[in-house]
Amino acid sequence: MSLAIQPEKIDEFMELARKMEVEATILGTFTDTGKFHIRYGERTIACLDMEFLHEGVPQMKLTAKWVPPRNPEPDISEPADYGRALKAMFSRLNICSKESVVRQYDHEVQGGSVVKPLVGAANDGPSDAAVVRPVLESCEGVVVANGICPRYSDIDAYHMAACAIDEAVRNAVAVGGSLERLAGLDNFCWCDPVQSEKTPDGHYKLAQLVRANLALYDYTRIYGVPCISGKDSMKNDYQIGDTKISIPPTLLFSVIGRIEDVRKAVTMDAKRAGDLVYVLGETKRELGGSEWYAMHGAVGNDVPKVDAARAKVLYTALSMAIRQGIVASCHDCSDGGLAVALAETAFSGGLGMSVDLAAVPASGIARDDEMLFSESQSRFVVTVQPEKKAAFEAALAGSPSACVGTVTADGLFRVKGLRGSMILEEKIADLKEAWQRTLRF
Amino acid sequence: MPKIVKSIVLTGNGTNCEREMAHACRLAGSDEVDIVYIHEILNGEKRLDDYHFLNLPGGFLDGDDLGSAKAGANRIVHAKVRGSGEPLRDELLRFINNGKLILGVCNGFQLMVKLGILPAFDGEYFKQTVTLSFNDSGRFEDRWVWLAVNEKSPCVFTKGLKKIYLPVRHGEGKFMAKSAPILKRLHRQDQVVARYCTEKSDKPTLEYPANPNGAVDAIAGICNETGRLYGMMPHPEAYTHYTNHPRWTREDLPEEGMGLAIFKNAIRFIRSDEFEQHPVRIQEAG
Repeated sequence: MSLAIQPEKIDEFMELARKMEVEATILGTFTDTGKFHIRYGERTIACLDMEFLHEGVPQMKLTAKWVPPRNPEPDISEPADYGRALKAMFSRLNICSKESVVRQYDHEVQGGSVVKPLVGAANDGPSDAAVVRPVLESCEGVVVANGICPRYSDIDAYHMAACAIDEAVRNAVAVGGSLERLAGLDNFCWCDPVQSEKTPDGHYKLAQLVRANLALYDYTRIYGVPCISGKDSMKNDYQIGDTKISIPPTLLFSVIGRIEDVRKAVTMDAKRAGDLVYVLGETKRELGGSEWYAMHGAVGNDVPKVDAARAKVLYTALSMAIRQGIVASCHDCSDGGLAVALAETAFSGGLGMSVDLAAVPASGIARDDEMLFSESQSRFVVTVQPEKKAAFEAALAGSPSACVGTVTADGLFRVKGLRGSMILEEKIADLKEAWQRTLRF
Repeated sequence: MPKIVKSIVLTGNGTNCEREMAHACRLAGSDEVDIVYIHEILNGEKRLDDYHFLNLPGGFLDGDDLGSAKAGANRIVHAKVRGSGEPLRDELLRFINNGKLILGVCNGFQLMVKLGILPAFDGEYFKQTVTLSFNDSGRFEDRWVWLAVNEKSPCVFTKGLKKIYLPVRHGEGKFMAKSAPILKRLHRQDQVVARYCTEKSDKPTLEYPANPNGAVDAIAGICNETGRLYGMMPHPEAYTHYTNHPRWTREDLPEEGMGLAIFKNAIRFIRSDEFEQHPVRIQEAG
């Protein structure tokens, strides 16, 4: 690293560096010549005008052309065995447990971890976000969360970016964060978007970049989550012979926020048999770019869209409810949809769950698989103690929310379908096994 | 007038748990707690002699070059203090011979073992007889473990403790002795202080992941013959508050974390008369 030191303090600085065994050398001085002058000994290596250095690169003029893709509309028949379908979903790389990776990182160093990446009855449930207490003498804390969903770029990078931002924000809210004090970081991982012989689809790729930035502007403004830092990596393309592989346009959106009192934080695992299960947020037929479609080799077109104004009302109400201590568990609903979020809540708590899909707040849903696997944004699975039912429902009165079932002691995950019959009944141990086996090493 | 207890937490060159170690010392009642860079010691600005309780925290001393804490141990064995020219090992030996306390956690335990100040049979310091090698799993792991405490051990840090739940976070924590007789003597003299067990049983276990690294005889922590020097792989400073516990949102837990007892025992011992009655007090070196 390089530092600027006042001349009268240089001796003190060099003595400190010597004591701390840090190699330090004096490279140069600031001047008022207006030149950036580099020498090797007496020989000049470079001498540039500062103005050229700062303003010398000509502004690029590039063409972007947005032509929305039309993907074939998949024709997937409803699964005959929902238990098998859910287990297949749980074993997919984007959904399965990442425990073997997480454990290889020290996630407790400095002694302030409050919500760890692995939570629940057996310390292995998938946490939505991290909460840390950076100052050990205080109960104030910091929430850190992420959102990423590159698959949606196959349909529209605008909605990919919007969903990534929404996912990061709702993960933060899920553990007890709030929109009041939340800042974002936009991390772009992109393919070369400049039209050239090597990139004949540059106009389309640049349009994807423009659209992602439009979403970044729109959604960070509505949520009031300013980007305080970011990073980009813009040439993630690989060529071998005539084959070129470009990564999907990807925005990893991270948020960091303040939590007034970490003792109010909640985790995603179901806590007690008898607790009520709620689904917050509306489920729509939004399976475009979903894990469910991907499992069937399809992309589709109905990409999830974020209604941020509505989501903001929900997030504010949920933050308040968590602060009031009336939420037993809260889990973000993302890849794999409701089926995955509900079952994760159950098995992470070592408990069963019975739910009725007919009770889920929804619109435009005709089939059980659409309800279970749609990836509509701004949704949560929450469990609430029966004695706190009235308080919770009052707190969430302004948002779509419904009690869809109960946490049970029998270790079974049971789902009643839209037509009133039981469509799924699996042991939580079997679902968890399907979720853990893929990356268990 | 109660005695003013002074604790030093050594840091620098890759240590990363000094803040929570210092916090634990403060919570445990140490009147003064200084986080000190090893460079300040080597520069002669700070002296171990001015403290009662030396804390060696976790981290990656000197990048764990040559094996965990090995390069760091070589530095302490060979470096001289600027000004006085006294070898640092003499300053450390004087600290030990004056009956003062040392707690090494994780990388700090690795350091103590590689310095040869644990187990130090017959008070022979700076001779390595045991080691902490690569985990059987072949990788770094962060997980919580149960420890059964040997109540017959002379260890002053674990008095009154039976069983504790703490996180391990290491890649090199597999305890091994140089020879069978050394291992046998460790057991015979009750210098084996803590062993990995399960929540249900106090019996030491070799089963992964309850025994997270494959440690021989499930050994997680050992002390010297006086019980005043103690090293352990799990992190007591990482469980001082109930929100450190991985299941605090679903279990009724006391406000204070289980790890704090180890620091409280240390401070209590330093305040006691027993602290001054050091049986092997030797004349000051140099």
